[in-house]
Amino acid sequence: MAQPRITSPKPYTRARPRATIDWTNYDPGEFYDEIISAPGRARPATRSLAAFMRKQTIKHLISRQQAADLAIQEMGITFTVYSEGQNIDRSWPMDIIPRIIPLKEWQVLERGLIQRLTALNLFIDDLYNKQKILKDRVMPRDIIDSSPEFLKQCVGAKPRHGVWSHVCGSDLVRDADGTVYVLEDNLRVPSGVSYMLENRAISKRVLPQLFERNSILPVADYPSQLFDMLTSLSPRRIAHPEIVVMTPGIFNSAYFEHAYLAQRMGAELVEGADLVVGSDDKVYMKTIRGLSRVDVIYRRINDDFLDPEVFRSDSSLGTPGLFRAWRKGNVGLANAPGAGVADDKVIYTFVPAIIKYYLGEDPIIPNVPSYLCVDPVQCKHVLANLAKMVVKPANESGGYGMLIGPAASKKELALFTDLIKKNPRNYMAQPALKLSTAPTLCGNNIEPRHLDLRPFILQGKKHYVTPGGLTRVALRKGSLVVNSSQGGGSKDTWIVDTEAN
Amino acid sequence: MLSRVAERVYWLGRFLERVENTARLILVRHNAVLDLPKEVQPSWELLLQVLGAEEAFGRLPGAPTEKNIVSFVFGEKENPSSIISSLTCARENMRTTREILPSETWERVNSLYLSVARRSNKDLPQGVRHAVLNNIVQSCQQITGLLAGSMNQDAAYQFIRLGRNLERADMSTRIIDAASAGLMGNVDETSPFRNVLWISVLQSLSAYQMYRLNVRRSVEREGVLAFLFQSTVFPRAVAHSLQQIESSMKLLPEHKGALAVAAGLRRQLRETDFSTLEGPALHDYIDALQLQLVDVHHAIAVGWFAHESH
Repeated sequence: MAQPRITSPKPYTRARPRATIDWTNYDPGEFYDEIISAPGRARPATRSLAAFMRKQTIKHLISRQQAADLAIQEMGITFTVYSEGQNIDRSWPMDIIPRIIPLKEWQVLERGLIQRLTALNLFIDDLYNKQKILKDRVMPRDIIDSSPEFLKQCVGAKPRHGVWSHVCGSDLVRDADGTVYVLEDNLRVPSGVSYMLENRAISKRVLPQLFERNSILPVADYPSQLFDMLTSLSPRRIAHPEIVVMTPGIFNSAYFEHAYLAQRMGAELVEGADLVVGSDDKVYMKTIRGLSRVDVIYRRINDDFLDPEVFRSDSSLGTPGLFRAWRKGNVGLANAPGAGVADDKVIYTFVPAIIKYYLGEDPIIPNVPSYLCVDPVQCKHVLANLAKMVVKPANESGGYGMLIGPAASKKELALFTDLIKKNPRNYMAQPALKLSTAPTLCGNNIEPRHLDLRPFILQGKKHYVTPGGLTRVALRKGSLVVNSSQGGGSKDTWIVDTEAN
Repeated sequence: MLSRVAERVYWLGRFLERVENTARLILVRHNAVLDLPKEVQPSWELLLQVLGAEEAFGRLPGAPTEKNIVSFVFGEKENPSSIISSLTCARENMRTTREILPSETWERVNSLYLSVARRSNKDLPQGVRHAVLNNIVQSCQQITGLLAGSMNQDAAYQFIRLGRNLERADMSTRIIDAASAGLMGNVDETSPFRNVLWISVLQSLSAYQMYRLNVRRSVEREGVLAFLFQSTVFPRAVAHSLQQIESSMKLLPEHKGALAVAAGLRRQLRETDFSTLEGPALHDYIDALQLQLVDVHHAIAVGWFAHESH
């Protein structure tokens, strides 16, 4: 038998006082904080996280953050920023401290989100068919007539299940009193879900202890839920319909997500030129075995570029004839062309009325109070209180072209006064909310930063809501802009079942 | 497999091979010059001739000096057949096919691109030339090795292999053509340097040692031509490349049309007697052969990349 191996004695180390996280120094001030209810006091669902962090040194947390950053680089999780001239991939910024929502609260939000998307889909279907809501004068007709997102080519179309927006990302925010509002709905091609999934993968890697101690709803089945939803749109009732993800290509800021979702669903990632519409009005993809029928397209390309025969004729990103194939019911398109009519920020203000009209229910999640500049009285109020308002153009996304009153200079306020006066239909305004905060690792400190939440809702034959969603956080102190294209970061979002613990 | 993806990895294979061969060409030209007296040195323009880049060079300012030609072939972005241009194309084709390739390959191609791009605006003086070019050749071989050793040998792999071998065959014919026409023109049949020149031709295809092992006779025209065109064992011989192309094709679906074109060309090559092809006749033969290689490319494109709408 071998002799035990000789090892050196343990080196002597002097015990050092450990600087651990002290929650009494963390003060979100007038804002609602998602983790802490008062200095030194954690909310019930977050106690385990707060206790865990209390035992950590800031140094340890920073090293965990570095481990997360490294994993993000290695896994190649990137997003692309347009304004940098060249197409530069940046690593996805994620803060390791999770954002926590108690299951009980989440269940209400989940019902609210399903209610909202159900009503919005009934609304879109109505607009393109009978237009009862206009005939009943619940909504003025000229709002639809003046909407660039209302596509007359879609009138009379009947997509399967009467659903137009199959993948919706609704942005939720929480005000100082704790009320959660829907800030906006993204019914066209919402992005971010891959980052939600990757954030979870990263936090499981770097904070495994917390997953052992908490009962956190898993998010990983999104790709298979998406796949099932897309399958339910197939025009052919076959066991394995051909589903593809259609991307505008590598220069799109969300290309990473397109490739990611295609890979996770085992679907082909196609570009417009990979598809062809035959004289039989069916869609085929060009493979090395020849043309192969496509049943459902999860398209991540805007309506404008989808089909040069119908929309922008200079588009080389789309496929000629695609719209025709869809109208004939030969291919499922998610989301359907024309669905964007309902995420016009002016239509947004009618959503409570839309829910009431189609479902006979009160909205479960309220809208942020909003003022329509097209209404002279409301417009006057907006202009008089511009410095306290957030002004949004009706049809922009990604945080472009908006005014944040409290942070704006005099010059910017004057510019927007002009813009609103010139084209009131294009603007709506909301009082600047006091967005809730959560502890975020900023340099060597833990500081409160503002955040929002984008859950993803699927609707095909059935509904599905991601448990949680993508929490976006404004990394600059005091900033309310959470968009990743404008210097925002993200957090993993945990729906925690406190009763299971 | 999508046709577009197949086409992109096919071009990835071609461009990587082109990068390697171009680097080899400059290297060999560089070495040959050092061995020869001034009056028999092949001109640097020969390099442009081999690459079919005389016209592109003429469009840019600058005399055909050694310095200008080397810079043009190495780092000139306006030159579609320069190393930097080929590398840019290889990298762009790879960006959108990353999911199906081993991730280290992207890292290698990317870092090779970055190292060449950093140098591309500078001259490539004799002192560093060998090191820089050798590094390119080695990196390309490393990438080829990575693909062979860590990628599923599926359809995607066969398309890379098709591209690589077709490019290789094309480049071999170009080198032989330039050698037999331009290079020998000013060297007398009895000149002692004639032998050295044929050796440099073999070297430019990394064929010298293999020739010795396989042919076992002195280096002379007839033997060299037969070896470089018809050898079925030497990887850079045209016949061998065609053989590889056929074997890749057989592993792909719907291969009948393309295979017939490639097999026809190989048969014809096998039956050619190179000892009877002198001077202009050889040049014409090579010209026709290059067009036939283009036919093979078209057969591949028609068979797998292009689609008639129905």
